[in-house]
Amino acid sequence: MSEPSNGFRLFGLRTEIPRWLSATAGLFTVVASAALWWWTTRGVGEERILLYSQLPSIAETIEYFPNLWEADSPERHLLHNTLVSLKRVILGFGLALLVGIPLGVAAGCFAIIRSILAPLILFGRNIPIAALTALVFALFGTGELEKVMFIFIACVAFILSDTISSIQDVGERYVETALTLGATRLQIVFKVLVPLAMPMVFNSLRVLFGLAFGYIMLVEIIQESGGAGGLGYLLNMARRRSRPEIMVIIILTIPIVAWLIDQVLFVVQCWLFRWKYGREAENSGAFRLSRSILSLFWRPANSNSKAPA
Amino acid sequence: MTANNIVEFRQVTKTFNVGREDEFTAIRDITFAIEDLHGHGEFISVLGPSGSGKSTILRLLAGLEPQHPPTSGQVLVSGVPVLGPGADRGMVFQDYTSFDNRTVLDNVAFGLECRGVSKTERYSKAREWIHRVGLNVASDGGKYPHELSGGMRQRVAIARTLILHPRIILMDEPFGALDPHNRYQMQDLLVTLWREVQATVFFVTHSIEEAVYLGDRVFILSRSPGTILHQIEVPAPVRPAAEMQREAEFQEKVFRIRDILEDLESVKKNQDATVT
Ligand SMILES: Nc1ncnc2c1ncn2[C@@H]1O[C@H](COP(=O)(O)OP(=O)(O)OP(=O)(O)O)[C@@H](O)[C@H]1O
Ligand SMILES: [Mg+2]
Repeated sequence: MSEPSNGFRLFGLRTEIPRWLSATAGLFTVVASAALWWWTTRGVGEERILLYSQLPSIAETIEYFPNLWEADSPERHLLHNTLVSLKRVILGFGLALLVGIPLGVAAGCFAIIRSILAPLILFGRNIPIAALTALVFALFGTGELEKVMFIFIACVAFILSDTISSIQDVGERYVETALTLGATRLQIVFKVLVPLAMPMVFNSLRVLFGLAFGYIMLVEIIQESGGAGGLGYLLNMARRRSRPEIMVIIILTIPIVAWLIDQVLFVVQCWLFRWKYGREAENSGAFRLSRSILSLFWRPANSNSKAPA
Repeated sequence: MTANNIVEFRQVTKTFNVGREDEFTAIRDITFAIEDLHGHGEFISVLGPSGSGKSTILRLLAGLEPQHPPTSGQVLVSGVPVLGPGADRGMVFQDYTSFDNRTVLDNVAFGLECRGVSKTERYSKAREWIHRVGLNVASDGGKYPHELSGGMRQRVAIARTLILHPRIILMDEPFGALDPHNRYQMQDLLVTLWREVQATVFFVTHSIEEAVYLGDRVFILSRSPGTILHQIEVPAPVRPAAEMQREAEFQEKVFRIRDILEDLESVKKNQDATVT
Protein backbone atom coordinates (compact mmCIF):
# COMPACT_ATOMS: atom_id res chain seq x y z
CA MET A 1 0.00 0.00 0.00
CA SER A 2 2.99 2.32 -0.36
CA GLU A 3 2.32 5.58 -2.09
CA PRO A 4 4.57 7.04 -4.75
CA SER A 5 7.17 9.12 -2.94
CA ASN A 6 6.19 12.53 -4.26
CA GLY A 7 2.91 11.47 -5.81
CA PHE A 8 -0.65 11.19 -4.65
CA ARG A 9 -3.47 8.71 -4.77
CA LEU A 10 -6.17 9.36 -7.32
CA PHE A 11 -8.88 8.20 -4.92
CA GLY A 12 -7.16 8.96 -1.61
CA LEU A 13 -9.89 9.25 0.99
CA ARG A 14 -10.21 12.89 2.07
CA THR A 15 -6.80 13.75 0.69
CA GLU A 16 -5.90 16.60 -1.61
CA ILE A 17 -4.95 16.21 -5.26
CA PRO A 18 -2.48 18.50 -7.05
CA ARG A 19 -3.74 21.83 -8.28
CA TRP A 20 -3.08 21.01 -11.94
CA LEU A 21 -5.13 17.82 -11.74
CA SER A 22 -7.95 19.60 -9.99
CA ALA A 23 -7.97 22.27 -12.69
CA THR A 24 -7.80 19.69 -15.48
CA ALA A 25 -10.68 17.71 -14.00
CA GLY A 26 -12.79 20.85 -13.84
CA LEU A 27 -11.85 21.80 -17.39
CA PHE A 28 -12.86 18.33 -18.54
CA THR A 29 -16.40 18.88 -17.26
CA VAL A 30 -16.59 22.26 -19.02
CA VAL A 31 -15.39 20.78 -22.29
CA ALA A 32 -17.74 17.81 -22.00
CA SER A 33 -20.72 20.08 -21.33
CA ALA A 34 -19.78 22.29 -24.24
CA ALA A 35 -19.45 19.22 -26.46
CA LEU A 36 -22.92 18.06 -25.44
CA TRP A 37 -24.29 21.51 -26.16
CA TRP A 38 -22.57 21.55 -29.52
CA TRP A 39 -23.76 18.06 -30.43
CA THR A 40 -27.42 18.63 -29.54
CA THR A 41 -27.55 21.89 -31.50
CA ARG A 42 -25.46 21.02 -34.56
CA GLY A 43 -26.85 21.13 -38.06
CA VAL A 44 -29.52 23.44 -39.43
CA GLY A 45 -33.27 23.79 -39.15
CA GLU A 46 -35.22 20.63 -38.42
CA GLU A 47 -32.10 18.40 -38.49
CA ARG A 48 -31.06 19.65 -35.09
CA ILE A 49 -31.79 17.58 -32.01
CA LEU A 50 -32.74 20.79 -30.21
CA LEU A 51 -34.23 23.52 -32.35
CA TYR A 52 -33.04 27.10 -32.30
CA SER A 53 -36.12 28.12 -30.35
CA GLN A 54 -35.35 25.44 -27.79
CA LEU A 55 -31.64 26.02 -27.36
CA PRO A 56 -29.47 28.21 -29.56
CA SER A 57 -26.11 26.77 -30.54
CA ILE A 58 -22.77 27.91 -29.18
CA ALA A 59 -22.01 29.82 -32.37
CA GLU A 60 -25.39 31.55 -32.37
CA THR A 61 -24.97 32.56 -28.75
CA ILE A 62 -21.50 33.96 -29.27
CA GLU A 63 -22.70 35.78 -32.33
CA TYR A 64 -25.48 37.45 -30.39
CA PHE A 65 -23.33 38.35 -27.41
CA PRO A 66 -22.08 41.73 -28.74
CA ASN A 67 -25.73 42.87 -28.90
CA LEU A 68 -25.79 42.71 -25.14
CA TRP A 69 -22.27 43.93 -24.59
CA GLU A 70 -22.07 46.81 -27.03
CA ALA A 71 -25.71 47.83 -26.73
CA ASP A 72 -26.18 51.57 -27.22
CA SER A 73 -28.77 51.88 -24.50
CA PRO A 74 -27.69 50.75 -21.02
CA GLU A 75 -31.09 49.09 -20.70
CA ARG A 76 -29.97 46.31 -22.96
CA HIS A 77 -26.47 46.05 -21.62
CA LEU A 78 -25.64 42.81 -19.81
CA LEU A 79 -23.23 44.40 -17.35
CA HIS A 80 -25.55 47.29 -16.55
CA ASN A 81 -28.46 44.98 -15.85
CA THR A 82 -26.32 42.66 -13.77
CA LEU A 83 -25.29 45.61 -11.64
CA VAL A 84 -28.89 46.77 -11.30
CA SER A 85 -29.91 43.33 -10.03
CA LEU A 86 -26.89 43.18 -7.77
CA LYS A 87 -27.66 46.55 -6.25
CA ARG A 88 -31.19 45.43 -5.37
CA VAL A 89 -29.95 42.23 -3.80
CA ILE A 90 -27.30 44.08 -1.80
CA LEU A 91 -29.84 46.61 -0.51
CA GLY A 92 -32.44 44.01 0.45
CA PHE A 93 -29.86 41.67 1.88
CA GLY A 94 -28.12 44.45 3.79
CA LEU A 95 -31.43 45.44 5.32
CA ALA A 96 -32.07 41.82 6.27
CA LEU A 97 -28.64 41.70 7.92
CA LEU A 98 -29.29 44.85 9.92
CA VAL A 99 -32.50 43.37 11.25
CA GLY A 100 -31.68 39.67 11.33
CA ILE A 101 -28.29 39.56 12.98
CA PRO A 102 -28.92 41.71 16.08
CA LEU A 103 -32.31 40.07 16.60
CA GLY A 104 -30.80 36.64 16.00
CA VAL A 105 -28.05 37.28 18.55
CA ALA A 106 -30.60 38.42 21.11
CA ALA A 107 -32.83 35.43 20.42
CA GLY A 108 -29.85 33.05 20.50
CA CYS A 109 -28.94 34.32 23.95
CA PHE A 110 -32.34 34.67 25.56
CA ALA A 111 -35.04 32.02 25.29
CA ILE A 112 -37.84 34.51 25.82
CA ILE A 113 -36.92 36.50 22.72
CA ARG A 114 -36.56 33.24 20.83
CA SER A 115 -40.09 32.24 21.79
CA ILE A 116 -41.48 35.60 20.75
CA LEU A 117 -39.84 35.37 17.34
CA ALA A 118 -40.51 31.67 16.74
CA PRO A 119 -43.85 32.10 14.91
CA LEU A 120 -42.42 34.82 12.66
CA ILE A 121 -39.42 32.67 11.78
CA LEU A 122 -41.60 29.67 11.06
CA PHE A 123 -43.78 31.80 8.81
CA GLY A 124 -40.89 33.56 7.13
CA ARG A 125 -38.88 30.46 6.39
CA ASN A 126 -41.81 28.69 4.80
CA ILE A 127 -43.27 31.50 2.80
CA PRO A 128 -43.62 30.24 -0.80
CA ILE A 129 -41.44 32.37 -3.02
CA ALA A 130 -44.05 32.50 -5.77
CA ALA A 131 -46.63 33.79 -3.30
CA LEU A 132 -44.16 36.31 -1.96
CA THR A 133 -43.73 37.86 -5.42
CA ALA A 134 -47.47 38.40 -5.51
CA LEU A 135 -47.52 39.79 -2.00
CA VAL A 136 -44.79 42.38 -2.50
CA PHE A 137 -46.36 43.35 -5.82
CA ALA A 138 -49.66 43.97 -4.06
CA LEU A 139 -48.01 45.85 -1.22
CA PHE A 140 -45.38 47.90 -2.97
CA GLY A 141 -46.23 47.91 -6.67
CA THR A 142 -43.42 47.51 -9.16
CA GLY A 143 -40.84 50.03 -7.98
CA GLU A 144 -37.42 49.59 -6.44
CA LEU A 145 -38.96 49.31 -2.98
CA GLU A 146 -40.87 46.22 -4.05
CA LYS A 147 -37.70 44.48 -5.20
CA VAL A 148 -35.68 45.39 -2.15
CA MET A 149 -38.49 44.33 0.16
CA PHE A 150 -38.83 41.06 -1.73
CA ILE A 151 -35.22 40.16 -1.02
CA PHE A 152 -35.53 41.43 2.52
CA ILE A 153 -38.57 39.29 3.34
CA ALA A 154 -37.20 36.27 1.54
CA CYS A 155 -33.92 36.38 3.50
CA VAL A 156 -34.54 37.83 6.91
CA ALA A 157 -36.12 34.77 8.52
CA PHE A 158 -33.27 32.56 7.33
CA ILE A 159 -30.65 34.99 8.60
CA LEU A 160 -32.48 35.12 11.91
CA SER A 161 -32.71 31.38 12.39
CA ASP A 162 -29.15 30.73 11.23
CA THR A 163 -27.83 33.37 13.63
CA ILE A 164 -29.83 31.86 16.45
CA SER A 165 -28.52 28.36 15.86
CA SER A 166 -24.93 29.59 15.44
CA ILE A 167 -25.12 31.34 18.80
CA GLN A 168 -26.68 28.30 20.41
CA ASP A 169 -24.01 26.04 18.95
CA VAL A 170 -21.21 27.81 20.81
CA GLY A 171 -20.11 25.32 23.45
CA GLU A 172 -21.44 25.85 26.96
CA ARG A 173 -17.88 25.32 28.21
CA TYR A 174 -16.83 28.69 26.78
CA VAL A 175 -19.63 30.39 28.65
CA GLU A 176 -18.71 28.60 31.86
CA THR A 177 -15.05 29.50 31.44
CA ALA A 178 -15.95 33.15 30.95
CA LEU A 179 -18.19 33.03 34.02
CA THR A 180 -15.43 31.68 36.22
CA LEU A 181 -13.17 34.44 34.86
CA GLY A 182 -15.63 37.02 36.12
CA ALA A 183 -17.36 38.01 32.89
CA THR A 184 -20.80 39.62 33.13
CA ARG A 185 -23.70 38.40 31.04
CA LEU A 186 -23.31 41.26 28.59
CA GLN A 187 -19.58 40.61 28.31
CA ILE A 188 -20.26 36.96 27.59
CA VAL A 189 -22.61 37.93 24.78
CA PHE A 190 -20.22 40.35 23.10
CA LYS A 191 -16.83 38.91 23.97
CA VAL A 192 -17.60 35.20 23.73
CA LEU A 193 -20.84 34.21 22.01
CA VAL A 194 -20.91 36.73 19.16
CA PRO A 195 -17.26 36.41 18.09
CA LEU A 196 -17.33 32.62 18.26
CA ALA A 197 -20.63 32.36 16.36
CA MET A 198 -19.83 34.83 13.59
CA PRO A 199 -17.87 32.51 11.28
CA MET A 200 -20.85 30.14 11.21
CA VAL A 201 -23.21 33.02 10.56
CA PHE A 202 -20.99 34.26 7.76
CA ASN A 203 -20.99 30.81 6.15
CA SER A 204 -24.74 30.72 5.92
CA LEU A 205 -24.82 34.32 4.69
CA ARG A 206 -22.64 33.32 1.76
CA VAL A 207 -25.09 30.59 0.79
CA LEU A 208 -28.11 32.86 1.27
CA PHE A 209 -26.63 35.68 -0.76
CA GLY A 210 -26.15 33.31 -3.67
CA LEU A 211 -29.79 32.23 -3.41
CA ALA A 212 -31.01 35.82 -3.17
CA PHE A 213 -29.12 36.69 -6.32
CA GLY A 214 -30.97 33.92 -8.09
CA TYR A 215 -34.35 34.99 -6.65
CA ILE A 216 -34.22 38.64 -7.64
CA MET A 217 -35.17 37.88 -11.24
CA LEU A 218 -38.52 36.51 -10.08
CA VAL A 219 -39.69 40.02 -9.25
CA GLU A 220 -37.83 41.75 -12.07
CA ILE A 221 -39.63 39.60 -14.61
CA ILE A 222 -43.12 40.70 -13.48
CA GLN A 223 -42.49 44.09 -14.93
CA GLU A 224 -45.57 45.31 -16.83
CA SER A 225 -43.85 47.80 -19.08
CA GLY A 226 -40.09 47.88 -19.38
CA GLY A 227 -37.62 50.36 -18.06
CA ALA A 228 -36.59 49.24 -14.64
CA GLY A 229 -33.70 47.07 -15.73
CA GLY A 230 -32.14 44.05 -14.10
CA LEU A 231 -31.41 40.57 -15.36
CA GLY A 232 -35.09 39.62 -15.03
CA TYR A 233 -35.96 42.50 -17.31
CA LEU A 234 -33.44 41.19 -19.85
CA LEU A 235 -35.08 37.77 -19.66
CA ASN A 236 -38.43 39.36 -20.40
CA MET A 237 -36.90 41.07 -23.40
CA ALA A 238 -35.59 37.71 -24.60
CA ARG A 239 -39.10 36.32 -24.50
CA ARG A 240 -40.70 39.30 -26.20
CA ARG A 241 -38.19 39.36 -29.02
CA SER A 242 -37.93 35.58 -29.25
CA ARG A 243 -34.16 35.73 -28.68
CA PRO A 244 -33.34 32.55 -26.72
CA GLU A 245 -29.65 33.55 -26.86
CA ILE A 246 -30.31 36.12 -24.15
CA MET A 247 -31.68 33.43 -21.90
CA VAL A 248 -28.62 31.26 -22.42
CA ILE A 249 -26.26 34.17 -21.82
CA ILE A 250 -28.02 35.05 -18.58
CA ILE A 251 -28.00 31.44 -17.41
CA LEU A 252 -24.24 31.39 -18.04
CA THR A 253 -23.66 34.80 -16.47
CA ILE A 254 -25.41 34.18 -13.17
CA PRO A 255 -23.16 31.38 -11.92
CA ILE A 256 -20.05 33.31 -12.89
CA VAL A 257 -21.21 36.43 -11.07
CA ALA A 258 -22.38 34.34 -8.11
CA TRP A 259 -18.99 32.62 -7.98
CA LEU A 260 -17.16 35.94 -8.10
CA ILE A 261 -19.30 37.31 -5.28
CA ASP A 262 -18.74 34.18 -3.26
CA GLN A 263 -14.99 34.48 -3.72
CA VAL A 264 -15.10 38.09 -2.58
CA LEU A 265 -17.15 37.08 0.47
CA PHE A 266 -14.75 34.24 1.19
CA VAL A 267 -11.81 36.64 1.13
CA VAL A 268 -13.67 38.99 3.46
CA GLN A 269 -14.36 36.00 5.71
CA CYS A 270 -10.69 35.04 5.76
CA TRP A 271 -9.67 38.55 6.73
CA LEU A 272 -12.36 38.85 9.37
CA PHE A 273 -11.72 35.46 10.95
CA ARG A 274 -8.00 34.92 10.58
CA TRP A 275 -8.10 32.78 13.72
CA LYS A 276 -10.29 30.25 12.00
CA TYR A 277 -9.30 30.30 8.37
CA GLY A 278 -5.51 30.62 8.69
CA ARG A 279 -4.77 27.48 6.70
CA GLU A 280 -7.72 27.57 4.32
CA ALA A 281 -6.86 31.14 3.48
CA GLU A 282 -3.34 30.18 2.45
CA ASN A 283 -4.77 27.58 0.06
CA SER A 284 -7.15 30.01 -1.58
CA GLY A 285 -5.95 31.75 -4.71
CA ALA A 286 -8.49 34.51 -4.17
CA PHE A 287 -7.12 35.20 -0.71
CA ARG A 288 -3.51 35.36 -1.85
CA LEU A 289 -4.55 37.63 -4.69
CA SER A 290 -6.30 39.94 -2.25
CA ARG A 291 -3.19 39.97 -0.10
CA SER A 292 -0.89 40.89 -2.95
CA ILE A 293 -3.29 43.62 -4.05
CA LEU A 294 -3.48 44.90 -0.50
CA SER A 295 0.27 44.88 -0.11
CA LEU A 296 0.52 47.28 -3.05
CA PHE A 297 -1.32 49.93 -1.06
CA TRP A 298 -0.59 49.07 2.51
CA ARG A 299 2.37 47.56 4.24
CA PRO A 300 2.12 46.35 7.82
CA ALA A 301 4.60 48.17 10.05
CA ASN A 302 6.67 45.09 10.85
CA SER A 303 7.41 44.22 7.23
CA ASN A 304 8.89 47.69 6.82
CA SER A 305 11.27 47.16 9.65
CA LYS A 306 12.57 44.01 8.02
CA ALA A 307 13.50 45.88 4.83
CA PRO A 308 17.24 46.43 4.43
CA ALA A 309 18.34 49.87 5.55
CA MET B 1 -15.10 29.16 63.56
CA THR B 2 -16.88 29.41 60.21
CA ALA B 3 -15.07 32.57 59.21
CA ASN B 4 -11.79 30.71 59.50
CA ASN B 5 -12.75 28.23 56.81
CA ILE B 6 -11.97 29.21 53.26
CA VAL B 7 -14.25 26.42 52.03
CA GLU B 8 -16.92 24.59 53.93
CA PHE B 9 -19.54 22.06 52.83
CA ARG B 10 -22.33 21.49 55.33
CA GLN B 11 -24.34 18.36 54.64
CA VAL B 12 -24.52 19.14 50.97
CA THR B 13 -26.80 16.96 48.90
CA LYS B 14 -27.42 17.37 45.18
CA THR B 15 -30.32 15.62 43.55
CA PHE B 16 -30.86 16.13 39.85
CA ASN B 17 -34.33 16.19 38.29
CA VAL B 18 -36.12 16.35 41.63
CA GLY B 19 -39.62 14.92 41.48
CA ARG B 20 -39.18 13.34 38.09
CA GLU B 21 -38.89 9.74 37.17
CA ASP B 22 -35.17 10.08 36.47
CA GLU B 23 -34.48 11.71 39.84
CA PHE B 24 -30.85 11.06 40.73
CA THR B 25 -28.83 11.86 43.82
CA ALA B 26 -25.25 12.56 42.78
CA ILE B 27 -23.78 13.46 46.17
CA ARG B 28 -25.23 12.96 49.64
CA ASP B 29 -24.48 14.66 52.94
CA ILE B 30 -21.04 15.89 52.06
CA THR B 31 -19.45 17.72 54.95
CA PHE B 32 -15.90 19.00 55.14
CA ALA B 33 -13.97 22.17 55.86
CA ILE B 34 -10.73 23.61 54.59
CA GLU B 35 -9.13 25.96 57.08
CA ASP B 36 -7.94 29.34 55.91
CA LEU B 37 -4.29 29.24 56.92
CA HIS B 38 -2.52 32.53 56.52
CA GLY B 39 -0.03 32.39 53.67
CA HIS B 40 -0.70 28.76 52.91
CA GLY B 41 -3.32 27.45 50.54
CA GLU B 42 -4.14 23.80 50.88
CA PHE B 43 -3.99 21.45 47.90
CA ILE B 44 -6.87 18.98 47.92
CA SER B 45 -6.84 16.10 45.47
CA VAL B 46 -10.18 14.44 44.81
CA LEU B 47 -10.35 10.80 43.78
CA GLY B 48 -13.33 8.54 43.31
CA PRO B 49 -15.01 6.16 40.89
CA SER B 50 -16.52 7.58 37.73
CA GLY B 51 -19.87 9.22 38.47
CA SER B 52 -19.14 9.60 42.16
CA GLY B 53 -19.78 13.33 42.06
CA LYS B 54 -16.28 14.84 41.81
CA SER B 55 -17.25 17.32 39.11
CA THR B 56 -20.47 18.01 40.98
CA ILE B 57 -18.51 19.15 44.04
CA LEU B 58 -16.26 21.40 41.97
CA ARG B 59 -19.11 22.96 40.07
CA LEU B 60 -21.05 23.57 43.26
CA LEU B 61 -18.04 25.51 44.50
CA ALA B 62 -17.74 27.36 41.21
CA GLY B 63 -21.44 28.21 41.32
CA LEU B 64 -22.11 26.73 37.88
CA GLU B 65 -25.55 25.44 36.95
CA PRO B 66 -27.16 22.93 36.97
CA GLN B 67 -25.09 21.57 39.87
CA HIS B 68 -25.52 24.90 41.66
CA PRO B 69 -27.53 25.43 43.83
CA PRO B 70 -27.38 22.37 46.12
CA THR B 71 -30.64 20.59 46.82
CA SER B 72 -29.97 20.83 50.53
CA GLY B 73 -27.12 21.91 52.74
CA GLN B 74 -24.75 24.82 52.37
CA VAL B 75 -21.70 25.54 50.25
CA LEU B 76 -19.70 28.27 51.96
CA VAL B 77 -16.67 30.19 50.75
CA SER B 78 -15.06 32.27 53.51
CA GLY B 79 -18.24 31.75 55.50
CA VAL B 80 -20.55 33.12 52.80
CA PRO B 81 -22.87 30.90 50.73
CA VAL B 82 -21.93 30.60 47.06
CA LEU B 83 -24.51 32.45 44.98
CA GLY B 84 -23.02 32.05 41.53
CA PRO B 85 -19.78 32.02 39.57
CA GLY B 86 -17.06 34.59 40.22
CA ALA B 87 -13.43 35.31 39.47
CA ASP B 88 -12.46 34.55 43.08
CA ARG B 89 -12.92 30.89 42.17
CA GLY B 90 -11.00 30.11 38.99
CA MET B 91 -11.70 26.92 37.10
CA VAL B 92 -9.64 24.87 34.66
CA PHE B 93 -11.54 22.24 32.68
CA GLN B 94 -10.30 19.06 31.09
CA ASP B 95 -11.43 20.04 27.61
CA TYR B 96 -9.62 22.90 25.99
CA THR B 97 -11.62 26.06 26.44
CA SER B 98 -9.32 28.74 25.09
CA PHE B 99 -11.37 31.30 23.19
CA ASP B 100 -10.58 30.39 19.58
CA ASN B 101 -10.96 33.94 18.33
CA ARG B 102 -8.33 35.31 20.71
CA THR B 103 -4.59 35.08 20.62
CA VAL B 104 -2.78 33.56 23.58
CA LEU B 105 -2.13 37.07 24.86
CA ASP B 106 -5.79 38.06 24.62
CA ASN B 107 -6.91 34.78 26.14
CA VAL B 108 -4.72 35.30 29.17
CA ALA B 109 -5.82 38.93 29.44
CA PHE B 110 -9.54 38.05 29.16
CA GLY B 111 -10.39 38.29 32.85
CA LEU B 112 -8.60 41.61 33.26
CA GLU B 113 -10.32 42.90 30.13
CA CYS B 114 -13.67 42.06 31.72
CA ARG B 115 -12.63 44.01 34.79
CA GLY B 116 -11.91 47.04 32.63
CA VAL B 117 -8.13 47.04 33.14
CA SER B 118 -6.37 49.24 30.58
CA LYS B 119 -4.83 47.61 27.56
CA THR B 120 -1.19 48.33 28.40
CA GLU B 121 -1.58 47.11 31.94
CA ARG B 122 -3.43 43.92 31.14
CA TYR B 123 -1.02 43.05 28.32
CA SER B 124 2.02 43.54 30.50
CA LYS B 125 0.47 41.32 33.19
CA ALA B 126 -0.54 38.77 30.57
CA ARG B 127 3.00 38.65 29.17
CA GLU B 128 4.32 38.05 32.64
CA TRP B 129 1.93 35.13 33.14
CA ILE B 130 2.57 33.64 29.73
CA HIS B 131 6.21 33.54 30.73
CA ARG B 132 5.44 32.08 34.14
CA VAL B 133 3.53 29.12 32.74
CA GLY B 134 6.47 28.30 30.54
CA LEU B 135 5.33 29.67 27.20
CA ASN B 136 7.38 31.97 25.02
CA VAL B 137 5.95 35.48 25.00
CA ALA B 138 7.48 36.45 21.67
CA SER B 139 6.70 33.32 19.67
CA ASP B 140 3.55 32.01 21.37
CA GLY B 141 1.85 35.20 22.51
CA GLY B 142 0.42 35.98 19.08
CA LYS B 143 -0.70 32.45 18.28
CA TYR B 144 -4.31 31.35 18.08
CA PRO B 145 -5.50 28.30 20.06
CA HIS B 146 -5.74 26.07 16.99
CA GLU B 147 -2.00 26.48 16.57
CA LEU B 148 -1.26 25.17 20.07
CA SER B 149 -0.70 21.66 21.44
CA GLY B 150 -2.86 20.29 24.26
CA GLY B 151 -0.20 21.01 26.87
CA MET B 152 0.20 24.57 25.66
CA ARG B 153 -3.53 25.13 25.78
CA GLN B 154 -3.70 24.00 29.38
CA ARG B 155 -0.82 26.35 30.19
CA VAL B 156 -2.89 29.16 28.70
CA ALA B 157 -5.88 28.04 30.76
CA ILE B 158 -3.79 28.07 33.93
CA ALA B 159 -2.28 31.46 33.12
CA ARG B 160 -5.60 33.12 32.45
CA THR B 161 -6.98 31.76 35.73
CA LEU B 162 -4.00 32.64 37.93
CA ILE B 163 -3.63 36.15 36.49
CA LEU B 164 -6.80 37.02 38.44
CA HIS B 165 -5.30 35.82 41.76
CA PRO B 166 -8.25 33.62 42.76
CA ARG B 167 -8.33 32.46 46.37
CA ILE B 168 -9.64 29.11 45.18
CA ILE B 169 -8.62 27.21 42.07
CA LEU B 170 -10.83 24.39 40.81
CA MET B 171 -9.26 21.94 38.41
CA ASP B 172 -11.34 19.16 36.85
CA GLU B 173 -8.97 16.60 35.35
CA PRO B 174 -6.94 19.36 33.72
CA PHE B 175 -4.15 17.05 32.57
CA GLY B 176 -6.42 14.13 31.69
CA ALA B 177 -5.80 14.45 27.97
CA LEU B 178 -2.02 14.86 28.13
CA ASP B 179 0.67 12.24 27.53
CA PRO B 180 2.73 11.10 30.57
CA HIS B 181 5.78 13.23 29.81
CA ASN B 182 3.72 16.39 29.36
CA ARG B 183 1.80 15.44 32.44
CA TYR B 184 4.89 15.37 34.66
CA GLN B 185 5.95 18.73 33.30
CA MET B 186 2.56 20.21 34.01
CA GLN B 187 2.55 18.75 37.51
CA ASP B 188 5.91 20.35 38.27
CA LEU B 189 4.70 23.64 36.85
CA LEU B 190 1.54 23.49 38.93
CA VAL B 191 3.50 22.82 42.13
CA THR B 192 5.78 25.79 41.46
CA LEU B 193 2.92 28.14 40.67
CA TRP B 194 0.82 26.94 43.57
CA ARG B 195 3.66 27.67 45.99
CA GLU B 196 3.85 31.19 44.59
CA VAL B 197 0.16 32.05 44.61
CA GLN B 198 -0.83 30.12 47.76
CA ALA B 199 -4.41 29.52 46.73
CA THR B 200 -6.61 26.68 47.90
CA VAL B 201 -6.71 24.12 45.11
CA PHE B 202 -9.30 21.43 44.42
CA PHE B 203 -7.86 19.04 41.93
CA VAL B 204 -9.95 16.21 40.46
CA THR B 205 -8.05 13.41 38.77
CA HIS B 206 -8.28 9.75 37.86
CA SER B 207 -4.55 9.26 38.38
CA ILE B 208 -3.76 8.15 41.90
CA GLU B 209 -0.10 9.09 41.41
CA GLU B 210 -1.08 12.58 40.41
CA ALA B 211 -3.42 12.93 43.38
CA VAL B 212 -0.84 11.71 45.87
CA TYR B 213 2.01 13.72 44.37
CA LEU B 214 0.23 17.05 44.16
CA GLY B 215 -2.04 16.95 47.18
CA ASP B 216 -1.68 17.88 50.82
CA ARG B 217 -4.78 15.85 51.40
CA VAL B 218 -6.58 13.32 49.20
CA PHE B 219 -10.36 13.08 49.38
CA ILE B 220 -11.77 9.74 48.36
CA LEU B 221 -15.40 9.66 47.34
CA SER B 222 -17.67 6.65 47.51
CA ARG B 223 -19.65 5.36 44.58
CA SER B 224 -22.72 7.43 43.84
CA PRO B 225 -24.40 8.93 45.69
CA GLY B 226 -20.98 10.24 46.62
CA THR B 227 -19.87 10.93 50.14
CA ILE B 228 -16.35 11.55 51.37
CA LEU B 229 -15.10 8.17 52.63
CA HIS B 230 -11.52 9.06 53.47
CA GLN B 231 -9.38 12.11 53.88
CA ILE B 232 -5.76 11.01 53.64
CA GLU B 233 -2.83 13.29 54.40
CA VAL B 234 0.02 12.80 51.94
CA PRO B 235 3.58 14.19 51.81
CA ALA B 236 4.25 17.42 49.98
CA PRO B 237 5.74 17.37 46.46
CA VAL B 238 9.31 18.18 47.42
CA ARG B 239 11.04 16.72 44.35
CA PRO B 240 10.23 16.74 40.62
CA ALA B 241 7.24 14.64 39.60
CA ALA B 242 9.06 12.14 37.39
CA GLU B 243 11.60 11.47 40.18
CA MET B 244 9.42 11.39 43.26
CA GLN B 245 6.67 9.27 41.77
CA ARG B 246 9.19 6.45 41.26
CA GLU B 247 10.20 6.19 44.90
CA ALA B 248 9.12 3.19 47.01
CA GLU B 249 7.61 5.25 49.80
CA PHE B 250 5.50 7.13 47.30
CA GLN B 251 4.43 3.95 45.51
CA GLU B 252 3.33 2.47 48.82
CA LYS B 253 0.96 5.36 49.45
CA VAL B 254 -0.39 4.96 45.95
CA PHE B 255 -1.02 1.23 46.44
CA ARG B 256 -2.83 1.85 49.69
CA ILE B 257 -5.20 4.23 47.98
CA ARG B 258 -5.56 1.94 44.99
CA ASP B 259 -6.73 -0.83 47.33
CA ILE B 260 -9.37 1.45 48.78
CA LEU B 261 -10.62 2.42 45.34
CA GLU B 262 -10.62 -1.15 44.10
CA ASP B 263 -12.67 -2.17 47.10
CA LEU B 264 -15.20 0.44 46.09
CA GLU B 265 -15.31 -0.95 42.57
CA SER B 266 -15.62 -4.57 43.69
CA VAL B 267 -18.49 -3.74 46.04
CA LYS B 268 -20.19 -2.30 43.01
CA LYS B 269 -19.52 -5.44 41.01
CA ASN B 270 -20.88 -7.69 43.75
CA GLN B 271 -23.98 -5.57 43.96
CA ASP B 272 -24.42 -5.68 40.20
CA ALA B 273 -24.02 -9.47 40.37
CA THR B 274 -26.73 -9.88 43.01
CA VAL B 275 -29.09 -7.65 41.05
CA THR B 276 -28.87 -9.82 37.94
N1 LIG C 1 -27.10 17.68 34.79
C1 LIG C 1 -27.24 16.43 35.27
N2 LIG C 1 -28.43 15.82 35.27
C2 LIG C 1 -28.57 14.57 35.77
N3 LIG C 1 -27.58 13.85 36.29
C3 LIG C 1 -26.36 14.39 36.32
C4 LIG C 1 -26.12 15.71 35.83
N4 LIG C 1 -24.81 16.00 35.98
C5 LIG C 1 -24.27 14.91 36.56
N5 LIG C 1 -25.19 13.95 36.77
C6 LIG C 1 -24.95 12.64 37.40
O1 LIG C 1 -24.37 12.84 38.65
C7 LIG C 1 -23.37 11.87 38.88
C8 LIG C 1 -22.10 12.53 39.30
O2 LIG C 1 -21.61 13.26 38.19
P1 LIG C 1 -20.18 13.91 38.19
O3 LIG C 1 -20.00 14.53 36.86
O4 LIG C 1 -20.02 14.80 39.35
O5 LIG C 1 -19.24 12.64 38.34
P2 LIG C 1 -17.66 12.57 38.32
O6 LIG C 1 -17.24 12.00 39.63
O7 LIG C 1 -17.08 13.87 37.95
O8 LIG C 1 -17.42 11.48 37.20
P3 LIG C 1 -16.23 11.40 36.15
O9 LIG C 1 -15.08 10.83 36.90
O10 LIG C 1 -16.74 10.45 35.13
O11 LIG C 1 -15.98 12.77 35.62
C9 LIG C 1 -23.23 11.06 37.62
O12 LIG C 1 -23.84 9.81 37.82
C10 LIG C 1 -23.98 11.83 36.58
O13 LIG C 1 -24.64 10.97 35.70
MG1 LIG D 1 -16.11 14.63 36.19
